[in-house]
Amino acid sequence: MSDFVEQCRQEWKRLGVPGPLAEEMATDLTTDLREAEAEGLSIEELLGSSAFDPQSFAASWASERGIIPVTPTNAETRRRPVALVAFTVVAAITVLVAALLLVTGEPKVSLVATRASTHPLLLHPFPGTGTGPVIRRTTVSASAAAPIEWVLLFVALVALGFAALLWSGSLPPRAPRPAGG
Amino acid sequence: MRRMVVGTPRRTELLRGVLDLCLLAVIDEGPAYGYEMTKRLRDRGLATVGEGSIYPLLGRLERDGLVETYRAASDGGPPRKYYRPSGAGRVALAVGVSEWRAARDAVDAVLAPVKVEVA
Repeated sequence: MSDFVEQCRQEWKRLGVPGPLAEEMATDLTTDLREAEAEGLSIEELLGSSAFDPQSFAASWASERGIIPVTPTNAETRRRPVALVAFTVVAAITVLVAALLLVTGEPKVSLVATRASTHPLLLHPFPGTGTGPVIRRTTVSASAAAPIEWVLLFVALVALGFAALLWSGSLPPRAPRPAGG
Repeated sequence: MRRMVVGTPRRTELLRGVLDLCLLAVIDEGPAYGYEMTKRLRDRGLATVGEGSIYPLLGRLERDGLVETYRAASDGGPPRKYYRPSGAGRVALAVGVSEWRAARDAVDAVLAPVKVEVA
C-alpha cells in the first residue's frame, strides 16, 4: 500500500505537481487506503486495475484536478507521432525543394518579345530604297518562378516551426528541477 | 470497429457515464470523504466501483466547481477531505438525473420486448 502511494508521489513529482497538492493527495489516499485495509479490503478491490498502474492513476487524478495538462490516452499518444512525423517530413522536403530552386534559379523563363512597327513611314522609311519594315526583337531572360519559391520557402518554414511546436508538446513532461537547483 | 462488450466491461462502461451523478447523489445525502463515498456506493450494489475511478472524478468535480471541500477530523482518525455538492453541483445533479431517467426509459422501451433466457 505504502509502495503504491510512494509511486504516486514520484509520478506527481515527475509531472511537476506542486508539492503541497501532491502531499494533500498522498495523505488522502493513504488514510483512505488504511481505513479500507482495516476493514479487510485489499488495494486491488478498492482501486481495481489502477492498483497495478500507479503512474496512470496518479497522472489521471492530477490532470482531472486541472493541476497538469490532460494526459492523452495511449491510442492518442500512438497516433500523434505518425501524423506528426509525416507532417514534419513533408514540411522539411518542401523547405529543401524551395531552397534548391532558389539556389539553382530553376526553372527560368525566357521571354522573347518581337515587335514589328506598322507605321507607314516606318514600314517604308526610305521610299524607293527597297528597305523593308523595321523589326525590333527584345529578349528578356528572368526567373519568373522566384517569387513563388520565396513564398513556398516561407510557408514551409512556418510549417516546420509549427511541427517543432507540436513535437515539443508531444514529448513527455520533464521532471521538475530539484528545489534550489 | 469496436467489439461488443459483454458482462462486467459493459457494466463498467455504463457506470462511467453516470458515476459523477452517483457521487453527487451520495454526497448530497451528507458530506463524505473518498472512501466513505465508496462504502455508500457499495452499500447500494455498486461494488465494482474502484476507488481508482472515484479519485480522478472527484478531482474533476472539484475543478468544475460542482463540489465544495473542507477538512475535518473523522471519527477518531486523521483529518479527512470532505466533499459536498455546491449550488452548481445540485443543479448538475438535478439535470443529470433527469437526463439519466429519460435515457433509461428510452433504452428500457427498446429492450423490453427482448426475452431473456439464461442457460
